[in-house]
Amino acid sequence: MRNGRMTGLALVLALAASVAMADETDDIAHATARRLAVGVCGTCHGTHGVSELPKFPRLAGQNANYLAVQLKAFRSQTRGDPDAIGYMWGMAGNLEDGTIDALAQYYSVQTAGGSQAGDPALIARGKTIYQQGLESVGVPACAACHGPDAHGMGDFPRLAGQHAQYVLKQLSSFQNNMRNVAVMHGVAQGLKHEEMSAVAAFLEAQP
Amino acid sequence: MNLWRPIAARGVRVLAPALLLLAVPAAHAVPSYARQTGMACEACHTVFPELTHFGRMFKASGYVLDNLKQVKGVTPQREEILSLAGLPPLSIMVQASYTQLSTPLPDSSGTGKSQNGTVAFPQQVSLFYAGKIAPHVGAFLQLTYDYAAGTIGIDNTDIRFADLTILPGDQSLIYGLSLNNNPTVQDLWNSTAAFGFPYALSASAPGVPYAAQIDGARAQDVAGLTAYLFWNESLYGELGVYRSAKQGTGSGPLDSTTPGGVIDGGAPYWRVAYEYNVGRHSIEAGLYGATFKIFPDFGAGYGQLLAGPSDRYQDVAEDVQYQFLADQHLFSLAATRIHESQTLNATFAAGKSDNLNNDLTTTRAYATYYYRRKIGGTAGFFTTTGSTDVTFLGNTSGAPDTSGWIAELNYLPWLNTKFSLQYTAYNKYSGLSDNYDGMGRNAKDNNTLYLLAWLSY
Repeated sequence: MRNGRMTGLALVLALAASVAMADETDDIAHATARRLAVGVCGTCHGTHGVSELPKFPRLAGQNANYLAVQLKAFRSQTRGDPDAIGYMWGMAGNLEDGTIDALAQYYSVQTAGGSQAGDPALIARGKTIYQQGLESVGVPACAACHGPDAHGMGDFPRLAGQHAQYVLKQLSSFQNNMRNVAVMHGVAQGLKHEEMSAVAAFLEAQP
Repeated sequence: MNLWRPIAARGVRVLAPALLLLAVPAAHAVPSYARQTGMACEACHTVFPELTHFGRMFKASGYVLDNLKQVKGVTPQREEILSLAGLPPLSIMVQASYTQLSTPLPDSSGTGKSQNGTVAFPQQVSLFYAGKIAPHVGAFLQLTYDYAAGTIGIDNTDIRFADLTILPGDQSLIYGLSLNNNPTVQDLWNSTAAFGFPYALSASAPGVPYAAQIDGARAQDVAGLTAYLFWNESLYGELGVYRSAKQGTGSGPLDSTTPGGVIDGGAPYWRVAYEYNVGRHSIEAGLYGATFKIFPDFGAGYGQLLAGPSDRYQDVAEDVQYQFLADQHLFSLAATRIHESQTLNATFAAGKSDNLNNDLTTTRAYATYYYRRKIGGTAGFFTTTGSTDVTFLGNTSGAPDTSGWIAELNYLPWLNTKFSLQYTAYNKYSGLSDNYDGMGRNAKDNNTLYLLAWLSY
């Protein structure tokens, strides 16, 4: 009985120690991530992940799982759109899992950048495609996965407020399979360039 | 490496055409940074060597961003005592060129003509150590074989310490130190002297003969330590001091026979700049300057005690830069105006100048366009004006005035290979359009066609 209590106590202590160690590891990872976010990532992706340059996506308020999956895809060089190859394969090449998770966490809790103005006619056209899809060419409604407000759902990324140029480049990359994602390849296959531009303009204008 | 290596500004007053051949261009592009970061050249450069905002931040952060596997050393207290890249950050640069002058230069006898159509193979070969040395410490160190000099020597060098502190609101404050050998080589923008356009010039053609001290006159001739702050990737301030550190003059202290003039004490250097980035646009405006007190070199046989009066050169410059960066189209503007006030206490007292006070003003402005970073070019103008002083400048007119324009077409089959066709045209040279040397040579005779192959790997 006494031995049992001792074993129980030892287990509790070991658990507490591992929790404390895990906390410490988390703290280090979060501090590292914040430093990276401010000192390195922020140069392109902007302070708090609200980038100014349309070439670089806004990360603020993005789904943490999605961010972590992308960083791991850059690290393993399995995401192959041009800017991923030129910029992110190197940047993510040496990131540890803990740092990736902490970076994803950092950006997911930042306040999203908000909407950007655009051409009203193009936005209206994009809204229709986003909400209803293009049945005639087999394009489903984007809203079905990315949410009616484009804030993302589950592991599907937030698109609201994203730079139109970035969204357009990603759709093109899905289409030509440089960014190899089967679902999005299927979705984007039937889209014409002006339709992709319209969806991108609509998304950029969403809060 | 420096663009317009000046001659008269060093106190060498004789402007024989042969001396003008010393106008050696700048050149720098360092693929070892790409290897270290794992990022394509385009992250840091529009087209090398012009920097993007990210490139400026990489430089300000000490060249240390790395994504290579590291050889590590850690104490039991988790203190990192070694972090060494698995591969040394080495690069090689080769330039080969062909130069055609409008009219051949006089030969050394002064009566005949030199051969025109100069082939330089190589014009320059450089070995770089460019990358991280240790956490927070990195380097840009260049060893260059210069075909005109026929020697290997230290070229531009910038060794940095830099660190970052995070301010409230997640704003960054980078602070750092730069130990370098050329005022402005440490600067982040391509509007200042060391890394401004033109990035390469013929070593066989006459260059702009007069330049301010901060405009390359002291390149690789000094050692400077500067400290800088860069707040929120926008406001930049730097202070430092330069002192003579001449290469190839023996290991003893500098003395009265040291060629090229010796700085009296230290020359203070300062820089402020503000950069604003919005959308695809990046705009910078700034001021920079330095004050050099120099014991003049009156040429072989004169000697000058390194004590007593010295000449004072006070340089104050403005610069602006604008960049528009998209995937297809890249456009940039860069301009600087450098004003130098010269108080020639020593030279005037020795009867080697007509005036105690002279001034020199240089303005350069360039516009660059590239399509997909593959095909593009730069065009712009340069002008230098100043006081008339026949005794000091030693030329026919007594004026330093030199002006003209330069245009360059570039083709880059790969991001690290550049093929250039450059044309420089002079309206005025050494104060005159016609017969500037008293021997019948006109400014436009120095017009230069220059073909360059520039490979970095």
